[in-house]
Amino acid sequence: MASKVLAAAVRRSLSPRIPTSIRSLSTAAAAVAEPFDETAGISMKGVKISGRPLYLDMQATSPVDPRVLDAMLPYFVSRYGNPHSRTHLYGWESDEAVEVARAQVANLINASPKEIVFTSGATECNNISVKGVMHFYKEKKKHGVGALYMRRRPRIRVEPQMNGGGQERGIRSGTVPTPLVVGMGAACELAMKEMEYDEKRVTKLKDRMLNGIRDRLDGVVVNGSTESRYAGNLNLSFAYVEGESLLMGLKEVAVSSGSACTSASLEPSYVLRALGVDEDMAHTSIRFGIGRFTTEEEIDKAIELTVNQVEKLREMSPLYEMVKEGIDIKSIQWSQH
Amino acid sequence: MVPPSSRTEILSLFRSFLRSARQFPDYNIREYAKRRIVDAFHDNKTLSSPSSVAAAFADGKYQLQVAKRQALVYSLYSPKTKSIMDIKY
Repeated sequence: MASKVLAAAVRRSLSPRIPTSIRSLSTAAAAVAEPFDETAGISMKGVKISGRPLYLDMQATSPVDPRVLDAMLPYFVSRYGNPHSRTHLYGWESDEAVEVARAQVANLINASPKEIVFTSGATECNNISVKGVMHFYKEKKKHGVGALYMRRRPRIRVEPQMNGGGQERGIRSGTVPTPLVVGMGAACELAMKEMEYDEKRVTKLKDRMLNGIRDRLDGVVVNGSTESRYAGNLNLSFAYVEGESLLMGLKEVAVSSGSACTSASLEPSYVLRALGVDEDMAHTSIRFGIGRFTTEEEIDKAIELTVNQVEKLREMSPLYEMVKEGIDIKSIQWSQH
Repeated sequence: MVPPSSRTEILSLFRSFLRSARQFPDYNIREYAKRRIVDAFHDNKTLSSPSSVAAAFADGKYQLQVAKRQALVYSLYSPKTKSIMDIKY
């Protein structure tokens, strides 16, 4: 901002005969303001890449469907009423939109709208369910909004985790965010219409990815059950490769090694350990998330980049060399420090 | 009751759809939109009753408006750097 003001001041003080230098000055100012978006590739955290990475981290967040955004935008732009306002049209129209969304969510999971409580997300749902009493069913999260299914009969009493204005029947006080809730309702309705189509496609892409990698690499293990599994999640371990090094070498693919909590810790995912994955294999895991907007070309590119990186790392690995020579790694007695 | 849409009307809707799909600057949304449109029209080829054709046509017209609006919104906020999938090496 300051640099823009400065650029404007410079422009005023300079004669109009040298517009080119002013232009270069103002683009420099723009580049300072937006370090993430330079026209010739991106440079962030010491990593330089020519374009935005292909995105395969769908279990962290996924892109908003334009049809969902289309439903949300009116509630950001002009229909900004508080759904709990009872005295004017703004409130009434927001309230109506929230109730439509509640019905859309309920419809997807075959529940009654009265059994749906809007929250801030899955974490809050879990807290109400577990701390508030017991086994309700966590439902769905979506960018800052969540919905909790709470059985009506037999009735269950929960201790509210948020106290205040008594919204959502007192189970979750706080103004319901109309645009987000509307988006969630629209997403649920869309999920209902598109479920079969998406499921087929995501399964096809998952198979393409797994087969593509297995055709070219040995020592690849799928973590978790291969049958009871959501097709859009492919968590793989690559034997004799260190997961973090693999992730570092895959800068053109946005993936992660597990849940979002891995950012600060080098410990392997506790979820994988709980699934019975050996510690050495848990250290080599990568989670590929496939979604509605993933393409075949992205899968092929991800296979190519992953295989190249794994081969490169294995070439450098003394462990892999020993295995190829027929030494059983597990029988080795490592000296203690 | 809406009269059954003629072949030319349906083809023109299809072409308008593809045109607006191509306007999305986002690689993933654009590719999805193109694919979904082709698949939807292909799947609806088997519709025979005039009422189901009319319903699909009306839904298509509404979805086209959504696509046109959103192609504009996405182009207003598109990042300067393209997806690596859009960069030809």
